[in-house]
Amino acid sequence: MSAEKKTDFHVVNHSIPRRDGRVKVTGKAPYVADLKLIGMAYAKVLRSPYAHAKIVSIDTLRAASRPGVYCVITGNDLEGLNPYYGHAVKDHPLLAIGKVRYAGEPVAAVVAIDERTAFEALEFIDVKYEELKAVFTPEEALAKDAPLLHEKQFEAGALRGFEGEVTAGKGTNICQQHRIQWGDVEEAFKKAAAIVEGEYYFPMAYAYAMEPYVAIADVTDQGVTVYSSAQHPFMVRHDLKSIFNLPVSKVRLIVPFVGGGYGSKSYTKIEPLVAACSWKAKRPVKLQLTVEEAMLTTRSDDAYTWMRTAVDAKGKIIARQAKIYMNTGAYAENSPLVVEKSTNRCVGPYAIPNVLIENCSLYTNTVPASSYRGFGCAQVTLPGESQIDELAAKIGKDPYEFRLANVAKPGEEFFPKMRPFDGTLKEDLETAAKAIGWKNPLPKGHGRSIACSGSDAGAYPLTSTAVRVHADGSVTIMTGSTELGQGSHTVLPQIAAEELGVPFDNVNVVSSDTAITPYDRSTGASRTTTLMGSAVLEASREAIQQMVVMAADVLKVKVEEIQVVRGGVRCGEAQLNWSEVITKFYALPDGEVIGRSYIRKSGKFSQLPVFWEAACTGVEVSVDQETGKITMEKLVTVGDVGLAINPALAEGQDIGAATMGMGIGLFEELVYEGSQLVNGSILDYRLPRFSDLPKEVELHLVQNQDGVGPYGAKGGGEASLNSMAANIANAVDRAVGVRIRQAPLTPERVWRALKEKELQNSKVQKFKE
Amino acid sequence: MMPLRRFQMHQPKNVAEAAEMLAHYGEKGRLYAGGTELLLAMKHDLLRYEHLVDVKTVPGLDKIEAKNSSLHIGGTVTHRAIENSPLVRERLPVMAEMARQIANVRVRATGTLGGNICFAEPHSDPATLLLALGAKARVQGRNGERTLAMNEILVGAYETALAADEILTAIEIPLLAKSQRAAYLKFQVHERPTLSLALVLDVDASGNAITKARAVVGSVSLTPCRSDKADALLVGPRDKVEKQLADAAQVLAEAADPGDDLEGSAEYKRHLTGVFLRRAFAQALSGAPR
Ligand SMILES: Cc1cc2nc3c(=O)[nH]c(=O)nc-3n(C[C@H](O)[C@H](O)[C@H](O)COP(=O)(O)OP(=O)(O)OC[C@H]3O[C@@H](n4cnc5c(N)ncnc54)[C@H](O)[C@@H]3O)c2cc1C
Repeated sequence: MSAEKKTDFHVVNHSIPRRDGRVKVTGKAPYVADLKLIGMAYAKVLRSPYAHAKIVSIDTLRAASRPGVYCVITGNDLEGLNPYYGHAVKDHPLLAIGKVRYAGEPVAAVVAIDERTAFEALEFIDVKYEELKAVFTPEEALAKDAPLLHEKQFEAGALRGFEGEVTAGKGTNICQQHRIQWGDVEEAFKKAAAIVEGEYYFPMAYAYAMEPYVAIADVTDQGVTVYSSAQHPFMVRHDLKSIFNLPVSKVRLIVPFVGGGYGSKSYTKIEPLVAACSWKAKRPVKLQLTVEEAMLTTRSDDAYTWMRTAVDAKGKIIARQAKIYMNTGAYAENSPLVVEKSTNRCVGPYAIPNVLIENCSLYTNTVPASSYRGFGCAQVTLPGESQIDELAAKIGKDPYEFRLANVAKPGEEFFPKMRPFDGTLKEDLETAAKAIGWKNPLPKGHGRSIACSGSDAGAYPLTSTAVRVHADGSVTIMTGSTELGQGSHTVLPQIAAEELGVPFDNVNVVSSDTAITPYDRSTGASRTTTLMGSAVLEASREAIQQMVVMAADVLKVKVEEIQVVRGGVRCGEAQLNWSEVITKFYALPDGEVIGRSYIRKSGKFSQLPVFWEAACTGVEVSVDQETGKITMEKLVTVGDVGLAINPALAEGQDIGAATMGMGIGLFEELVYEGSQLVNGSILDYRLPRFSDLPKEVELHLVQNQDGVGPYGAKGGGEASLNSMAANIANAVDRAVGVRIRQAPLTPERVWRALKEKELQNSKVQKFKE
Repeated sequence: MMPLRRFQMHQPKNVAEAAEMLAHYGEKGRLYAGGTELLLAMKHDLLRYEHLVDVKTVPGLDKIEAKNSSLHIGGTVTHRAIENSPLVRERLPVMAEMARQIANVRVRATGTLGGNICFAEPHSDPATLLLALGAKARVQGRNGERTLAMNEILVGAYETALAADEILTAIEIPLLAKSQRAAYLKFQVHERPTLSLALVLDVDASGNAITKARAVVGSVSLTPCRSDKADALLVGPRDKVEKQLADAAQVLAEAADPGDDLEGSAEYKRHLTGVFLRRAFAQALSGAPR
């Protein structure tokens, strides 16, 4: 819990309009796609039509000799590089080497004077394949006679972020296994008063961002410079460093404006390929994927979950057991972390004394899965929060009351060895219930549900920053956190302005340039406000300490005599603002003070998770029983954020996340037919539209200043997604009495469930007669 | 979507010149209207043309006119223009309502009625309604003009009866008589309709009996489909027809013979045919003459 509960805020806790809003909506914000380097060439990628095939030969001659083409690069041209990358395990070649593992995998790239010339040359590359048997689901991948995707073992990636071991190359298609266990599950299920058990499926989804992947690389004798839409520039730097075998100081990642991420922009994506193109073409190269190509680059892990949950006679949840199979696709990417997180997130946010969760991810010949907003939490919250409702129904309890009685309490160590729970779920649930009108009568065919989630969030605490106070009193924050649209470039200066007592407008942010900005491990897992926010707060205070010493020097008094006031110092009658301190100190209207801070896994951040990300969502749906179509009547979000540095932005994250979760609940699903992704375009892959938004929306924040972040803040931005699919499934059950254990709940699936119920009812009826 | 391959754009001054150009370029050329289908397919590298003949520059094809007992909508009239046309709204409101439900406003503002029909994408709102309304397409090629009924012009998925040099110049739609009622409904989850259903009923003076019916189910099979047998079941006293709606839907669905695809299973589409025929029937008879 936060030591201080400051409440008299000047800048923080105010909904200041976002910094990047105007330039973005007026088209003035430069994204990587807008950048052009001198002598820059353009690359286009040839992709495999086969899901699994040996590459027998590649003939690039015809393509390479076309006018305007600088070079063609294939997996045969990578000598001198370490072409395998991956922060978890280095299993991913930057271009297919020897074989392809999914339809859509990059096999070659053409570098040419413009994009069209590069594209037109692609069909002149002759690739001979020898097709291999392929697997597309965990079940197929586990079969005895399944073909192996990866024959050899790989080096561990240096920035693992997870505890387990990736088992590729050990004679199976298992990518990773993870398990958590406490209490005695078998015993508990024997003693249980009631048990529910079921199988659930969470689909492959695409974390659609308006900006597809784009990068420009310039590889010279001086090193590697890459402009990219990446959200974790320092992680990408590491992969490039190892591919080119360079010191860290010679690899520079620059991230300008990013057009959304939602998980899809995390970790390394196309940067190694672009850099290899530049390396071979000996000039800067830009590669910009289309949305369809982006959909062949990453997706969410789909998950098959068997789960059972038990209660005792008093209605207390006493046990949960689950077995999960995740479909990780052709390469591990970030899935090992997703596996670990989804395993943990099967439990939360309930205090359950007996737990056994086993998780196994498998390599298959499909698009590699990686991060998706919520990191595995949505995958397991569909089963988890469905079972809470199923169990409540079974024992005749109101699901809302049932949750109230079982959620983790503030300060409770509900997950062994982890940070005690730092949220107030009871209050969150009550807020949601009030907002959704839980007890109010409903029209026929309508149903409500309230669900919650709690994730071990914040990733790993390793963050540094510099806050520069200039001679005129204005401030520059140097941050490695990337502005993805989440609002960090508004929130961070709010914190610096609050601490330094300077106007918000005078605080500028320089970000995500690994040659300039201090190290930050990642921009993900809702960690920026908590970790980078704390770093900015501490660096601001460190700058103040330096300026106190400087003021003492200037005023020729002892340091102890200097008193800090808002925006400056006082000593007796004398009062100096920061500008005066600095200019008097240097005896020129120039110079600066650099406040620094380093956050690591120690002090208040010594315990993981950094914080528990908790939220509730409430929905009211109506179901057209003839077509099975679900209409969202109302949505309520409750973000348990400790303190909202910027309430409007926090609410914006909540509605965004809930809408994304609604997409999965209602219609988002990547579909494979045989080896091919058949709806890999945004014409065919159904994303939420404005017209899908619930008729009524209420956004709430619960602010008890109970987080470890600045002023008691915690992260938000993922949690409202996690419970949405379960919420929709629960609300449909309450509306029309069918339990659907698979997302999305398409109209046809709902209709089938209704039909099945009718059939059962008529059978029962016949039996009675 | 990839960068567009190189192509040349041609701007004919009249229909005859457009037909000449199309004949001249043969397989390498294609008529280009709003481009909402054509350019998309070209960007996906599904279609390749070296020459595009821009029909929008031909004067006179973007008019909407009422003649005697029919409405003439030019080949390059956009969905948005139909939706907003006071003439269509007044004389054939069901057509304006249908147009309003097509795609999104960006596609409607650019996409044309001619382009929709001539691309012959199976999930088409206009094709479904126009077949029910008994509309005809005027087409013109180098060898003159001809008129085709909707079921004649639409022969398969992405397949029309047009010759390579022929251009759809207008759609002629008979206006509804005082005794006629029409309804158009669709069910949609993705970018295109999963099912579209149009119904035109002739009612007797009392309003209690249907003397003639024309039901069309679209988007579930390669071309919109109707059935004499289904239509026959929709004729008779209202309460009798109401009892026969399920049978009529079944006959209609059988004639359409839907397949399984990303929009849903054949079984589901058969079911939806029943749901929407019933809804369309109720709607057609509920309102004022359309
Ligand atoms: C995102 C999206 C959503 C859509 N949703 C729907 C929907 O809900 N319902 C629906 O019905 N439709 C839908 N459509 C289809 C839309 O109606 C068509 O794209 C549009 O009407 C095509 O017109 P166009 O002028 O752009 O044709 P173009 O793309 O220019 O041409 C299409 C084809 O028709 C040919 N052609 C065009 N005009 C003529 C002519 N006068 N004579 C002969 N041949 C011609 C061209 O040669 C080409 O082969 C959707 C399309 C998109 C892109």
